[in-house]
Amino acid sequence: MAKGTNDAQLLIQSLRKAYASTPTSLKIIDLYVVYAVATALIQVAYMAMVGSFPFNSFLSGVLSCVGTAVLAVCLRIQVNKDNKEFKDLPPERAFADFVLCNLVLHLVIMNFLG
Amino acid sequence: MATSKVEGSSSLRHAFGGVLSVFILFLIGVVAFSIRLFSVIKYESVIHEFDPYFNYRVTQFLSKNGIYDFWNWFDDRTWYPLGRVIGGTVYPGLTLTAGTMWKLANSLNIPLSVETVCVFTAPIFSAFAAWATYLLTKEVKGPGAGITAAAILAMVPSYISRSVAGSYDNEAVAIFALIFTFYLYIKTLNTGSLFYATLNSLAYFYMVCSWGGYTFIINLIPMHVLLCIVTGRYSSRLYIAYAPLVVLGTLLAALVPVVGFNAVMTSEHFGSFLVFIIIHVVALVYYIKGILTPRLFKVATTLVLTVGIAVCAVVVAILVALVASSPTKGWSGRSLSLLDPTYASKYIPIIASVSEHQPPTWPSYFMDINVLAFLVPAGIVACFLPLSDASSFAVLYLVTSVYFSGVMVRLMLVLAPAACIMSGIALSEAFGVLTRSMKFHITKYFECSHTEAPAKLGESTSTESSAPLENMTKSDTTEKPEVARKEKVARRKQKKEKELTENAHVKPVSAKKERRPLVLPLEASIVSVFLLIVLGGLYVLHCVWAAAEAYSAPSIVLTSHSHDGLHVFDDFREAYAWLRHNTEVDDKVASWWDYGYQTTAMANRTVIVDNNTWNNTHIATVGTAMSSPEKAAWEIFNSLDVKYVLVVFGGLVGYPSDDINKFLWMVRIGGGVFPHIKEADYLKDGQYRVDAQATHTMLNCLMYKLSYYRFVETDGKGFDRVRRYEIGKKHFKLTHFEEVFTTHHWMVRIYKLKPQKNRIRGKSRKSKLGSKSTSSKSGGMTHKNPWN
Repeated sequence: MAKGTNDAQLLIQSLRKAYASTPTSLKIIDLYVVYAVATALIQVAYMAMVGSFPFNSFLSGVLSCVGTAVLAVCLRIQVNKDNKEFKDLPPERAFADFVLCNLVLHLVIMNFLG
Repeated sequence: MATSKVEGSSSLRHAFGGVLSVFILFLIGVVAFSIRLFSVIKYESVIHEFDPYFNYRVTQFLSKNGIYDFWNWFDDRTWYPLGRVIGGTVYPGLTLTAGTMWKLANSLNIPLSVETVCVFTAPIFSAFAAWATYLLTKEVKGPGAGITAAAILAMVPSYISRSVAGSYDNEAVAIFALIFTFYLYIKTLNTGSLFYATLNSLAYFYMVCSWGGYTFIINLIPMHVLLCIVTGRYSSRLYIAYAPLVVLGTLLAALVPVVGFNAVMTSEHFGSFLVFIIIHVVALVYYIKGILTPRLFKVATTLVLTVGIAVCAVVVAILVALVASSPTKGWSGRSLSLLDPTYASKYIPIIASVSEHQPPTWPSYFMDINVLAFLVPAGIVACFLPLSDASSFAVLYLVTSVYFSGVMVRLMLVLAPAACIMSGIALSEAFGVLTRSMKFHITKYFECSHTEAPAKLGESTSTESSAPLENMTKSDTTEKPEVARKEKVARRKQKKEKELTENAHVKPVSAKKERRPLVLPLEASIVSVFLLIVLGGLYVLHCVWAAAEAYSAPSIVLTSHSHDGLHVFDDFREAYAWLRHNTEVDDKVASWWDYGYQTTAMANRTVIVDNNTWNNTHIATVGTAMSSPEKAAWEIFNSLDVKYVLVVFGGLVGYPSDDINKFLWMVRIGGGVFPHIKEADYLKDGQYRVDAQATHTMLNCLMYKLSYYRFVETDGKGFDRVRRYEIGKKHFKLTHFEEVFTTHHWMVRIYKLKPQKNRIRGKSRKSKLGSKSTSSKSGGMTHKNPWN
C-alpha cells in the first residue's frame, strides 16, 4: 500500500515535470480546454438541479462546450511541433481551420439554442 | 537538357492524363444520367410507385407556399381524423433539394415544372454519386481505381432500381450523400485537416436530412475508429477525423425535426458516444505514454486500471439498467428488425408485410450487382496489400453492408457503392499487373531485337523508372536554394508524376525494388486483358438490359404485349381522376394503405391511412373493416366519416398485386389489434382460396364482395385470371355499398357508402347478416313506436 502511494506520488511528480516542459502556447490551449470542460460540467450540475426542460438549450450549451474543447484539442495536435505528421502544416492554416470549424459550430448552436 | 525534356514530357503526359480523366468522368456522368431515362422514353415523364407521390406532393406544397409554411405544415388530408405533422415527420433533404433546383431554374427563366424537376432529380444525383465514388476510391487506392469504380457505379442495377427518372424517393439523393460523407471522412483521415472535418460534418448533416439510413453512417464510422484503435493504427489524424464529427454531427442531426432529441437518446447513436469516450481515453494514454518513461508508464497503467475498472463497472451497470428498462432496449422498430431479422414478423406485421423488407434471394444478388459479386473478393484481397486506414474502412463498409443486404432486399442499395469500390480496386489492380507484364515483355522483345542495346531486361525497366527518379533528385538539388514553397510544388509534382505513371500502368518504384519483376507470361496477360474487357462488356450489357426491362416500370401505368400490339393500362390514374372530378373536396376515401399517397397526390382527397404506416391501430381498423361482413364494415367506415371505398382488383386482366392477394396481410394486421378477426377463419385447410371451397367468412367479407361484385357479368363464369379458378360466390347484391365507378380494365373499383335509411319500418332485424334493414313484417304489433 505504501509502495502504491509512493508510486503514485512519483508518478504525479514526473507527470508534472514532463508537462512543465511543454511550450507556453500549448499550455494556453490546454487551459482553454480545461475551462471549456469545466463549463460543461457546471451546466450538467445546473441541469441536475433545475431539471432539463428546454432540453434543446441544455443540449446546445453542453455540446458547444464539448465542441470547443474538442476543436481546441485538434488545434493543439496540429500546432504541436513534436507531432511529426503535421510537420509541414503552417500553424496559420491550422488556426484558420480551427476558426472556421468554430464558426460552423456556433452557428449551429445559435440555431439550436431556441 | 535531357532532364528538362523528361520533365516537359512527363508534365505534358500529366496534363494530358488530367484532361483525359476529366473527360472520362464527364462521360461517366452522362452515362449515369442517360441509363436512367428508359422509363421516360418508354412511358412518359411521370412519377413512379407510391412513396414518390408523397414526396412530390410535399415538393408542390413547398414550391407554392415557401419554406416556413412547409416547416410548420400540419396535413389534415391524410390519416383522417388524426392528421399528420409533415414538418416533423418527413426527411426534408430530398424535397428541399428539388425545391431549390426548381427555384434556381425558374429564377434563371428556365420554365421547368415541379414535376419535371422531381422526375429528373434522381438521374442528376446519380451522376453526382458516380463522381463522389471516384473521389472516394481515389482516396482509398488511386485515380485509376477511382475511374473504374465510378464507371461501375454509374451502371450498377441495384442503384438504378431506386434512382430511375421518376423514382423520386429519399434514396435518390441519400446515396450521393452517403458516398460523399464517406469520401470526406476518408479525406480527413488521410490528410488530418480540420477543414475537411468540418465539411464532413456538413455532408453528414445533409445525409441526416435525406434518409433514415443515416444511422448506418453514425454506426459504421465509430466501428471503423474502434477497428483502427484495436489494430494499433491510432493516430492523431484519427482523432481529428472522428471527434469533431461526433459533436458537430450530433448537433446537426438534432437540428432536423424528424430526428430531434433521438440524436442523443436512442440506442442507435450510443455507439458513437461510446467510441467518443474510448478515443479520448486512448488519446490520453498515448499522450501520457509520450511524456513518461516506460517504467513509470507501467506504474500508471496499473494504478489507472484498478481504479478505472471499478468506476467503469458502475457506469456500465447504470447504463444497462437504463437501457434494459425500455421494452425495445432503446432501439426503434426498424433498426431492431435489421439486427434481429425475425423481430418484425413476430411483433410488427406491417414492417414484415412490405415486400422490400424481405430477405433477398440468391439470384437477386446476381441480378442486382452482377459481375461485381465475384470481383468483390478480389477487391478485398487488393485492399490488404497494402492495408491502410482507408482500405480497412472500405473492407469494413463492404462486410457490414453485405450483412444488412442479406436481411432486407431494400438494403442491397447500400451494398452497391461498397461493391463498386471493391470491384473498381480489383479491376484496376488486375489491369495494372497485366499491362505491366505486357509492357515488360514488349520492351524486353524490343531490347532483344535491337542487339546494340546491351542493357539487361531488369535494368531497362529500371533505367526507365530511374529517369523520373533522377528527375526528382535533380529537381531537389536545383531548387534547394529557392523558397520552401517551390519545394512543396516539386513534391506535389513528384506525387502527381507517380500517380501519372501509375495511370500509365507502370510502377517505377516497385519495378526498381525487385530485380526480378513479378510479371506474367505475355500470352496469358494478353488473353486476360481481353477476357476482362469482355467481362466489362457483359456487365454493361446486363446493366442496360436491367435498366430497360426490369427497373423502368412506373407501376402506375402498366403495359402488356399481346398479338394485336401494345396494351396500356392506365386504370389508376383514371380512377384518381374520376375521384378528383366527381366527388366533393371534403369527401374521405378509404383504401388499403398502399394507395394513400397516390390518392392524396393525384385525387386530392382525404384518406384514412397511407404509406407512412405510423399508426398501426388505424391501419388495423381499416383492415378489420375490409375483413368484416358488409354491415360491420359499413359501421366502421361510417364512424370514420368515410364516403368512398377504393379497392384494386386484378382478376380481369391478371394484375397480380391486387387487394385480394394482399388480403391476408389485412387480416393479420387487423387481427393483431382486434382479436375477433382470426386468420384461420379465412383459410380453408390452411390454404387461402376464394373459389367455391372457400370459407363462409371469406366469401362474405367486404373485400371479397367489393372485388367480385358483378364480376360474373364479364365472362359468365367468373374466372379470376390471377388466382386461375372460378370464384366461389358469383351472384350477390350489395346492401350497404353501391358501385359508383369501375375503371376500364376493372382494376380499380370505387364504391360509395349508402346512407343510413331514414325510416325503419317495424322491428329491425339486427341479428341477420347482410339482410335489408327494413323488415317486411306488416302491421307493427311491436312495442316500438310505429312512427319511427
